[in-house]
Amino acid sequence: MHSSFDSIEQPIVRLQQVTKTIGRRTIIDGLTLDLPRAEVFGFLGPNGSGKTTTIRMMVGLMSLTKGDVLIEGHSIRTDYEQAIRHVGAIVENPEMYKYLTGFQNLLHFSRMVPGITRQRIDEVVELVGLKSRINDKVKTYSLGMRQRLGVAQAIMHKPTLLILDEPTNGLDPAGIRELRDYLRKLAKEEGITVFVSSHLLSEMELMCDRVAIIQAGKLIDVRSIRSDKPLGEESSQVLFEVDQPDKAVLLLAEHGAEREEDAALVRADRETIAQINASLVAAGIKVYGIRVLNKSLEDQFLEMTGGEQVV
Amino acid sequence: MFDFLQLVRNENMKIYRRIGTWIMLGIILLLVIVSSSLTRWLSEKETMWTVMNGIDQLMYYLITIFTVVISAESVAGEFSSGTIKLLLIRPWSRSKILLSKYISLLLFALVQTLLMFVSSFVLNLILFGYNDSATANEALGVLNSAHPFFYMIQAYVLDYIGLIMIVTFSFMLSTIFRSGGLAIGLSMFIYFFGLIASGILMSLKYKWVEYLLFLHLNLKQYLQSSEIAHHMTLGFSLAVLAGYYIIFIGVTWLIFNKRDVAT
Repeated sequence: MHSSFDSIEQPIVRLQQVTKTIGRRTIIDGLTLDLPRAEVFGFLGPNGSGKTTTIRMMVGLMSLTKGDVLIEGHSIRTDYEQAIRHVGAIVENPEMYKYLTGFQNLLHFSRMVPGITRQRIDEVVELVGLKSRINDKVKTYSLGMRQRLGVAQAIMHKPTLLILDEPTNGLDPAGIRELRDYLRKLAKEEGITVFVSSHLLSEMELMCDRVAIIQAGKLIDVRSIRSDKPLGEESSQVLFEVDQPDKAVLLLAEHGAEREEDAALVRADRETIAQINASLVAAGIKVYGIRVLNKSLEDQFLEMTGGEQVV
Repeated sequence: MFDFLQLVRNENMKIYRRIGTWIMLGIILLLVIVSSSLTRWLSEKETMWTVMNGIDQLMYYLITIFTVVISAESVAGEFSSGTIKLLLIRPWSRSKILLSKYISLLLFALVQTLLMFVSSFVLNLILFGYNDSATANEALGVLNSAHPFFYMIQAYVLDYIGLIMIVTFSFMLSTIFRSGGLAIGLSMFIYFFGLIASGILMSLKYKWVEYLLFLHLNLKQYLQSSEIAHHMTLGFSLAVLAGYYIIFIGVTWLIFNKRDVAT
């Protein structure tokens, strides 16, 4: 076992050069990715980009052609039972045994991991709000209820990593919101890492701390969404609304300024913004407003994937 | 070991929480009751042993069908419902999960066999009274000198060995095709076609005929003679069955362990 120091410092999951080849087609190509602890980590990509395949490899449903996945330091290839112990997952739809009741389904999965008490099952049922229907057969459940039952079986054994594949599929807006709040709570309060895949950009923006973007089986980028770091570490597009935009653009040429209607658009970090503002004012240009343009993830995503059709 | 029994409990739960299973068990019990009672009221000559033997001869096929149905669904059902994904992502190797399924199927075949044996014995004992024939030959007219009760036990044991083969075969098909319907259909076809064809095949003089699976599924014929056509003995039949068994099990486990779950 690892010392507690190790487990705090180490990323909870390491994907190392994960590759999947089926026939001659390379579906996942050398994916390397570390997931930090206690974050909601999004896995974003258009349909068919390899999200589900990656997730299936992470939980051992598919074999890896090359590379390895380490969960809490245990290899999914050589030490599967130890690695998967820390994982709770829903892969695609939460398919349960329809002819069993919700409770029997949970009982079934609880028997497969030592140490889950009847009390824990009740606790989880309460948590996902299925108490009144838990003794009904799953075939009578709505999709939202099945999703909640799916979450219940995934968190029952107190995993440190929760993997959810397209969890918002088929949920109504209220259900999505509920799930989103719940996942954030799990990450913040219980220290669980939540790895969630989606092709819905707007969803990811609201839900995740960080997003990995995948396209055609390759990792394109990892972006922080909710950067808790002070603004300015990354430069962003800043719009200076001024009375003389032409003069301002000329003045800010060294910053690569562009004219945008009644404003000058520059790329700048926090400190530079202040400097630019000072120099504009010094040059006698009236500054009416400074706006940092936070590009939505969708813009970034489309930019990176070359505007390829998503959804 | 205790934990592994939990897996078997799970598989049992999935068999016995289905209404279909209880209908099957109900049909077995009902047919035993109906056939025994009818014989009691319509025939004067029969004894508890003859009726019990008759029930075994006929209803064994029914048990075979029921066993095939449940076995064929065992793995395929998990794939078609998608539950295989949630089943496999647990701290258990695929081999052990598969083993728990296989054991639960052998138990189901045993439950049916025992149900038929006990119900037909007890019921016919009540209906016809105890028949004190000393040998199976006297009681049933078969070429066997064991006590009729032990004769029946031997018949059921040999039946059960046949059931094990059928369970293993349809379990393999279920794993290969991941389709319950196909596994049921194919198992039934091969089994019943084999039964019918075995008579014809048996008359062929070729040596390879002796190694065909179907010729060895009806082990009860050895109760009447230690050697059947082609000079085959019980030992030879069991050895052939063991060979097939190892192949079936090997293929099943290999495929289940290697397969990417992509449904």
